[in-house]
Amino acid sequence: MANLFEVAPATIRPPLLSALETAWSHLAVPGSWLTGAQRTAVVAEARHAWNCGLCTERKTALSPYAVAGEHDDLGDLPSECVDVIHRVATDSGRLTQSWFREVLDAGIKEDEFVEIIGVAILVITIDAFADGIGAELAPLSPPQPGTPPRERWERATPGPGWVSTTPPENAGPELEDHYLNGRGEFNIVRSLTLVPAAATQLFGLLDCLYMPNPSIRELEGIDRSISRAQIEFLAARSSSLFGCFY
Amino acid sequence: MRLRVSGQHTGNEYDLLAVVEGGTVASSLPQGNMINEFAEGICNRNPAHTEAPRKGIVATLGEAAMVDAAAVIAAFNAYPRAANATGIPIEEFKLEPTEALRKELQLDALPSRH
Repeated sequence: MANLFEVAPATIRPPLLSALETAWSHLAVPGSWLTGAQRTAVVAEARHAWNCGLCTERKTALSPYAVAGEHDDLGDLPSECVDVIHRVATDSGRLTQSWFREVLDAGIKEDEFVEIIGVAILVITIDAFADGIGAELAPLSPPQPGTPPRERWERATPGPGWVSTTPPENAGPELEDHYLNGRGEFNIVRSLTLVPAAATQLFGLLDCLYMPNPSIRELEGIDRSISRAQIEFLAARSSSLFGCFY
Repeated sequence: MRLRVSGQHTGNEYDLLAVVEGGTVASSLPQGNMINEFAEGICNRNPAHTEAPRKGIVATLGEAAMVDAAAVIAAFNAYPRAANATGIPIEEFKLEPTEALRKELQLDALPSRH
């Protein structure tokens, strides 16, 4: 979509606008494991999750795993996919490895899981930015035709979390830029690298929203209109709101 | 942790409890309460609670600051979800330097502590 945020209520610095448009353009095209229609369905379901009664009930429960029921969903995806998308959208801080194992047992491949959460997180991020600046959410783009290759990325290895990732030493040309400046030492940068395109699409946007290399002192060479301390407060506070230990 | 490091670089000391508790706890950051409300409004998907701090940030820090703040909050709608959903653990090299901070803020009690 070429005109994302074209009528935004605020001026967006050009590199950020470009990154947002690029990220948005990835959502409706075939990925590594999902078709364009499936990816578009994930986008729609991620947006719809906030209206789900089961998710609302689980959010207030002592344990979300103690509340059974069916999600209010759009009906375009299998129920196990809907559960992944809704939980990641509305209560990611209480996801567990046993839940992840149940997802795999339900028939979702580890690679599909990474692409599903990659797409969901990408649209949640773009929508959060839109909410922040007071813009309308972008309308969904029509799905693009094509067949995903659905081939396992052989350079991935188990860990460091419960999903396989590609260690920096195995990067190859597909992930060479992703691991520039030694940032492969940070586990979060590895998180989606089982599906390299999912990782590069998400971090291509995050590098512009936040910064490519947080190891720098203050804001050396980075043009921002808030201080490094304000940036890091917002980062830490948002992470806390999502119950994120990392 | 990066907030504390930034304070050390600039000679400022920030109340890190505000990161966990939010609300009216003063972080001692300029416009700290306002940007905290902005983060809470966006992360909780509550447009009614986002509008006032958005306008406040524009009025006090400028429109570009509001956009940059929204961008950081949006980014941190992603990093935590990616970490939480994939079980990403904290790096070994961070464990010792963050031990006191984790204890102070009771971060080890979080369900996402893998």
